[in-house]
Amino acid sequence: MAQAEVFETDFWKDANLRKVWDEIVPGELRKTLPYVLTREAIQLYCRSVGENHPLYFDEAYAKASPYGGLIAPPSIHILLMFSCTPADDWMRTPGTVNAGQSWSYNIPARPGDTVTLQARALDKFIKRERLFVVHDNVFFNQRGDVICSGRGQTIRPM
Amino acid sequence: MTTSFDKLSTGDTIDGPSFAVSRESIRLFCDGSLDYNPLHLDDNYMKNSFGKTNFGGIIMHGMNNFGLITRMLTDWAYPAGAIHRRLETRWVKPVKPGDTIQPVGIIKAKQTTEKSRWVLIDVLVKNQNDEKVAVGEAMVEFPLTA
Repeated sequence: MAQAEVFETDFWKDANLRKVWDEIVPGELRKTLPYVLTREAIQLYCRSVGENHPLYFDEAYAKASPYGGLIAPPSIHILLMFSCTPADDWMRTPGTVNAGQSWSYNIPARPGDTVTLQARALDKFIKRERLFVVHDNVFFNQRGDVICSGRGQTIRPM
Repeated sequence: MTTSFDKLSTGDTIDGPSFAVSRESIRLFCDGSLDYNPLHLDDNYMKNSFGKTNFGGIIMHGMNNFGLITRMLTDWAYPAGAIHRRLETRWVKPVKPGDTIQPVGIIKAKQTTEKSRWVLIDVLVKNQNDEKVAVGEAMVEFPLTA
């Protein structure tokens, strides 16, 4: 499995390849891709939420800190969710609405990490005529250490 | 002011950063997160209804709230040697270009366990009309050495 060389930003392309609610099997693993997290990707994400802590930007500061080097903010899993999944993953289906998330953090991701994802739908249900999927996700670094784990709910487009 | 586990009391607040939402900030979040869902990009698409909901135009990513709450928590925790361990959120109201949002944290409880110390924090994000757009809870660890 190679990292996608060019990220397809048109989420309509390949839309017909993605599973709809009816086809999503709770318990079945999603296809995922290893992803090399770069300093540039971390810092672009940081800028998009106004993160400016020197632990993410200033190598000398980070080196002298208890972290011993640059790290990514805990919320980097927002980026990792899309960078570790292929274009036909159903999280990209246009109209997918995020209904809530919970994440636990173990160790920080760092620039240069090769991040892998284990992910699956865990449950699906219908509530007030809306189609929900519950998904669970665990991100690991190249040593097999857990970076973070999370559970989310999305409302699937009909 | 740098906080410490002993000094914290229930009801203490953490003020988060104010964030001006614009078409450009939403577009930058697309690039930063690689989430190019047309909900955040395509005005024509957003004329459609989603089930019973019509948003009436593009909306900010819910996870932009999540990222902003995280920024508040880590900026608060790092100087104290504390570690952001958990965040749970749900979205209450869509956020649109032109809105200004700001997260706040309220200390709910402190808990000592066998090997560490924990602070539970209610979090919420409000818009410029003082309406809640996101709510949740967080857990920050204050290791015994901190």
